[in-house]
Amino acid sequence: MKSRRVQALVVFLLFGAVKLPVEQVVSARMKEARILDGSLDLGLWENLGQMGFAASLGGLRALVAGVTYMQAYVAFEDIEWAKVDSLFQLTSRLQPRDVSYWDEAAWHMAYNAASNYLHSDRVEPIMRGKLYHSHIERGIEILEAGLKFNPNDPRLLSRLGDIYSKRKIDPVKAGQTYEKVSVLDGLDRYERFAAYEYLKTMDPVLWKKAYVLLKRTYDKDGAKYPSVIDGIKELEKRLAIPFMQWIPEKGSGKGPVTPVQPMDLPATR
Amino acid sequence: MEAEMKNGGGTFSVSRVWTMAMATVTQLVRMRILVFLVVLSVIVVAAGFMFPVFSAEQQLKMLKYVSFGALQFFSLVMAIVATALLLPKDIEDRTLYTILSKPVPRVEYLMGKFFGVMFLIGGGLVIMDVLLCGVLHFRQTLVLAQELAFLKQGHATAEELAVEAARIEAQGLGWNLQIGVLAVFLKAGVVTALALMISCFASSTLFTVITTFCLCIIGQGQELIREFFFHRTLDAAGEKIASGLFAVLVPDLRLFDVIDRVVAGNSVAGGAALFMTGAGLLYMTGYLVVAHLLFVEKEL
Repeated sequence: MKSRRVQALVVFLLFGAVKLPVEQVVSARMKEARILDGSLDLGLWENLGQMGFAASLGGLRALVAGVTYMQAYVAFEDIEWAKVDSLFQLTSRLQPRDVSYWDEAAWHMAYNAASNYLHSDRVEPIMRGKLYHSHIERGIEILEAGLKFNPNDPRLLSRLGDIYSKRKIDPVKAGQTYEKVSVLDGLDRYERFAAYEYLKTMDPVLWKKAYVLLKRTYDKDGAKYPSVIDGIKELEKRLAIPFMQWIPEKGSGKGPVTPVQPMDLPATR
Repeated sequence: MEAEMKNGGGTFSVSRVWTMAMATVTQLVRMRILVFLVVLSVIVVAAGFMFPVFSAEQQLKMLKYVSFGALQFFSLVMAIVATALLLPKDIEDRTLYTILSKPVPRVEYLMGKFFGVMFLIGGGLVIMDVLLCGVLHFRQTLVLAQELAFLKQGHATAEELAVEAARIEAQGLGWNLQIGVLAVFLKAGVVTALALMISCFASSTLFTVITTFCLCIIGQGQELIREFFFHRTLDAAGEKIASGLFAVLVPDLRLFDVIDRVVAGNSVAGGAALFMTGAGLLYMTGYLVVAHLLFVEKEL
């Protein structure tokens, strides 16, 4: 009887030793397929926190994240922005690969909370602008944290571009961010968004970049987008593009017909 | 007689294992565990209508969160509690003696118990999966139509409509959901085999339940322990031995955690599902072999 127990123990330990390399291989393959989270360069505490969440909540992380998300939604309905922020922080840390949480958290901060503070009667007028800007910054911070977990995610990058464009009014950064999205698979439409942002700047180098981007869209899709044509027409003037290279006027379907000479525009480099 | 009880009589018979498995299913059904299944199934259906104020994407996601939570809860509770109850119940009812006094090898008895629990978990998961798919498809169709109608009213461009539709469809019904259900089933299989192995030497049901539950929690963090062991980040010899032992003793249950990805609406490659299945079968075989070695000499 004892021999069988010893046999069982030996088999158990041998099995344990055999399974270790198998686990390493399977785990590596699952990480390659981006099913399991690999060790990210997030710093010791963030990594330990992530592993702690995984160990303590087991396979129920997603469910717990769902519960904290609902709490965040209730806090949003009650207009408690600090609570919304902290609950979304918890939710996104529980499910860091789910980009919708980072996206929504940033949207709440940069749009809802910022606008709410700007128009709030409960806040001193002198503080309104400060809170407005700090919440826009918080939205950007959230997206940057999300991008550490999900590098080059188009949804997070495009949201970041939107915040730079519509909230922070920083067309240079907005354009750069949209350009990053445009190189990702099937998202070349962001080229024209980047170009529209560069068009808003006062930098002729960026205008030139905008012209190249818009021209590429125009050559690909023709006269599909009126705003692309408007943008190119504007840039033809600003950059003093030679007349023969001008595109037709909107809806004319012909070559360069309106020889408008550039006026009052800075010279290009 | 004793030798026959210990070693069993005759050759291995699949039909006897099947009979044992069906008897186990009947035994568990009589314990009224199906009430538990009904309650969780109601939760799955109700989840489809619980979050009407959220965005379309989040509504579908929350439905999947709650449903997969119910699926995991059902499968793990069944795997631990039902398995822990089986052997002591058979000894208490003296059914075990009746069975083993016949020419039934102990390995067949053990496999019958294992497959019985697995049939029950599998059956429960299939029912809940069908409900989940039905409710998800219904909700997906509904929210997609509502969302697109709303966007069209706001004169959204075709490009914007396509982006929104793709976003909602990514959260809807797809084959990756079935890989998620397979992962839940495999994880339950590993936990069942582990619980069966523990119950072969445990002195009480409570011991089996608590030990298996603890091993499940440690199993979720086993990768961390294994990393320490392989990459030698611990300095003290005692710590190295401890980490090595933990890594050897505990299964890596995180290998079955594809649900986060499935719920987030991302696809899971078929190759990864095969690796996961292979790992699951390896664990189940290993623990059942050890369980057999322990059970074959167990004093009854």
